[in-house]
Amino acid sequence: MQLSLQKGSRAVVLGSLLLFVMLLFAARLFHLQIIKHDDYVAQAQAEHMKPLVIPAKRGLIYALDGDKPIKLVMNQTVYTLFADPVAVEDKQKILEVIRKVAGGNLRPDLDKLLAKSDTRYQILGTKLTRHQAEIIKKESLKGIGFQAVSQRVYPEGGLAAQTLGFVNTEGKGQYGIEGSLDDRLVGQDGLLKSVTDVSGVPLTIGKDNINQPARDGENIVLSIDRNIQAQTEKVLTAALEKSGAKQGSVMVMDPQTGRVMAMANMPTYKPAEYFRVQDASAFNNAVVAVPYEAGSVIKALTVAVGLDRGAIQADSTYVNTDKIKVGDKEIGNATKGQTGMITMQRALDYSLNTGMVTIAQRLGDGSINQAARNVMYEYFHDRFGLGKRTGIELLGEAQGSVTTPSVPGAAVQYATMSFGQGMNVTMTQVAAAFSAAINGGVYYRPTVIAGTVDVDDVTFNESAPEVVRRDVVQPATSQAVREMVYEARKRFHGDKDRAGYEVGGKTGTSQTLIGGRYVDEQTIGSYLGYGGDDRPRYVIMVQVSGEGMNLEGGKHAMPIFTDISNWMIDYLKLQPKG
Amino acid sequence: MSYQTSPQLYTSRRRTNWNRNQNTVAFVSSVKLGTVAHTVLIALMITVLGLIYVTQAARATGYDYEAQKIDSQIAALETQKSDLEVENARLTALENVQQSNVAKAMSEPAATDYVR
Repeated sequence: MQLSLQKGSRAVVLGSLLLFVMLLFAARLFHLQIIKHDDYVAQAQAEHMKPLVIPAKRGLIYALDGDKPIKLVMNQTVYTLFADPVAVEDKQKILEVIRKVAGGNLRPDLDKLLAKSDTRYQILGTKLTRHQAEIIKKESLKGIGFQAVSQRVYPEGGLAAQTLGFVNTEGKGQYGIEGSLDDRLVGQDGLLKSVTDVSGVPLTIGKDNINQPARDGENIVLSIDRNIQAQTEKVLTAALEKSGAKQGSVMVMDPQTGRVMAMANMPTYKPAEYFRVQDASAFNNAVVAVPYEAGSVIKALTVAVGLDRGAIQADSTYVNTDKIKVGDKEIGNATKGQTGMITMQRALDYSLNTGMVTIAQRLGDGSINQAARNVMYEYFHDRFGLGKRTGIELLGEAQGSVTTPSVPGAAVQYATMSFGQGMNVTMTQVAAAFSAAINGGVYYRPTVIAGTVDVDDVTFNESAPEVVRRDVVQPATSQAVREMVYEARKRFHGDKDRAGYEVGGKTGTSQTLIGGRYVDEQTIGSYLGYGGDDRPRYVIMVQVSGEGMNLEGGKHAMPIFTDISNWMIDYLKLQPKG
Repeated sequence: MSYQTSPQLYTSRRRTNWNRNQNTVAFVSSVKLGTVAHTVLIALMITVLGLIYVTQAARATGYDYEAQKIDSQIAALETQKSDLEVENARLTALENVQQSNVAKAMSEPAATDYVR
C-alpha cells in the first residue's frame, strides 16, 4: 500500500509554506555569506583590527666636548592635560588639584573651559612634566586625561642656535641642521596592526597581525665644540656691547679638516622659545646665508694667486703712489703715505689696494686683460670656491657671486675684486678658501658634521673629512702665504698674541653699497686669521656690522679674533715653538 | 594456436584450516551504540576540542595582557630614563657648571710650563 498526502490538504500547504520560508532563508544566507562575504569580512576586520602608529623618536643632536660627543638637543615627553567637560564630576576638586600641581602650565579661565558642555575635549594645560602628570593621575579625577607629546629640549640653552635651528609645532625641522637634515633626523614611524580588545589592548590572536617597528632618526654629532662655541659667543657678545655694533658673526674652522668648530651669530635666540622671536632674521645663520663684500681679508687670497702663478714674491716691489688707474677708473688706498718703491709684504701689511691691483695686472703682463681675469676667476671661483655653494650641511646656504671674466667692464670689476670688493661671498666660503691657502693647498669641504652616534647611544662613528681638491695652491705657495699673513699681523698686532705661537691675520673694512654707491659712512669690519703651533690649527673669521655704523676690521673685528685665538691656544693645549 | 586462461581457483589454507595458537572464537560486544549515541559522542568530542581551543586562546590572550603591562612598564621606565638624561644634561650644561660654587672658587694659573 502506498501512503500519499491528499492534494490540497493542510499538511501539503504547511509543508509548502515551510519550504518557501526555508528557501527565503537560504537565499538570504546565500546573499549575506557568499555574495556579500568580502564586504562583511572587511567590516569585521575594521572593527577588530586597530592600526596603531608606533612613533619614531627624532634623532638627537650632539656637539663635541673635546673629542667626546655630548647631547645638545634631546627629546623629552611632556603631557597635555585635557578634560571631557561632559564626563567631569567634581569640578572643584579638579581645579584645586591641577592648580596646586601644575599652576604654571595651565590655561586661563579654567572654570569656563570645564563648563563648556558642547564639547568633549578641552585642553586645560600643556607641557606638564611626567612628575606633574603622575601626581594628577593618582587623584583619579573623572573626565581628566593626558596626551603624551614629545618635544625638543636644549640643555645648553641658546648655544649655537642658528646652527641647530628648531622643530616647529608640526614636528618639521626649520633652519640649521634641524631643517637641512630633517629627513635623517625624523626617522620612520612603525605600524602595529592587530586585533584589539574593547580597551584597545593589542592581542596576538588573528592571522593578519602586523608589527613593523619604528626606525628612530639618526643621532647626528656636530663638529661644533661646545666649549669653543660658548667662548666664541661670549667674546662676540661682549665685543658687540663694547663697540655698539648691531650684528656680528664668527666662524672657527679646523683648516686641516674643514670642520667648523664654532659658528656664532648675534643677535641670536633660544631654539626652545623660537615662537617668541619677533624678527625672523635672527633665525638666519649669517655665516653661511648672508653673502657680502668681504673687503681686504680677500687680499690674502690675491697674494696667494700672485705667488702661485709666479707673478710676485713677498719681497717683489712696485711703485706705490696711493692710486692706480684701471681703464677710466682710479683706485686709491685707504691707508695713505706708504708711497715709493715698496714690497708686496708691505702692501699686505698696510692693506694697500694698489698692491693688489698690481698683482692682478702682473697676472696679465701689465694689465687686467682677459688672461689675468681668467686666472683670477680660475683661482677665486674654481679653486677657492668663492661664489659657489660649499655644500655645508646647513639650510639656506647662499651662493654669492663672482663676476665672470668676459663681462663688459670686467677689468675694473676684477681690480676691485683683488681687494675684496665687487664680489659677494659668504664667511664660510672665505674661511674654507683661506684654510686651503695656508694648509698646504688642500680644499676640504666645510662641514658641521663630525659623525653619528648609534641608536645604542654609545658608539661614535666619526666621519672622515672630504677633500675637494688637493692642488688649490702649491705647498710652497701655501707656506709663503702663511708667512706673509703672519708678518702682516705681527707688524701691528703681534704684541697681543701669546709669545711663541704662530698667529697670522688680515683685517678688512668693506664699504657698503647704498643706493648704488659705495659709502664710507657704513662699513663692515672683518678679520681673517689663523693660529697654531707647527701647523695651522684653527682659522677664525670675524665680521661686525651695524646700520649707519662705521666699523673697522682692525678696531672692531680684530680684538674678537685676538680674544678667541689666545683662548684657543690654551684650550687646544698648543705648545709654543722654540 | 590459441591459449585460453581460466580463472585460478585458489583458497588459502588459513581459511579452511585453523592453525595452532589462533583464536577460533571472535569477541563481539553485547553493547550496541545506536545513531543517537554516536551523534552525542561526536558532539562531545567536538565540544572538548572546542574547549581546548578556547582555553589555549584565552591563555594566549592572558599573555597579551601580561606583555601589554610589561610594555607599559618599559615605556614608563624609558620616559623616566629620558627625563633623567635631560636633567643630567641640564646640570652638566656649561652655564650651570660656570655658575657652580666649584667653578667660582677656581683661579687663573699664574704661569704655564710645557713638557718638551
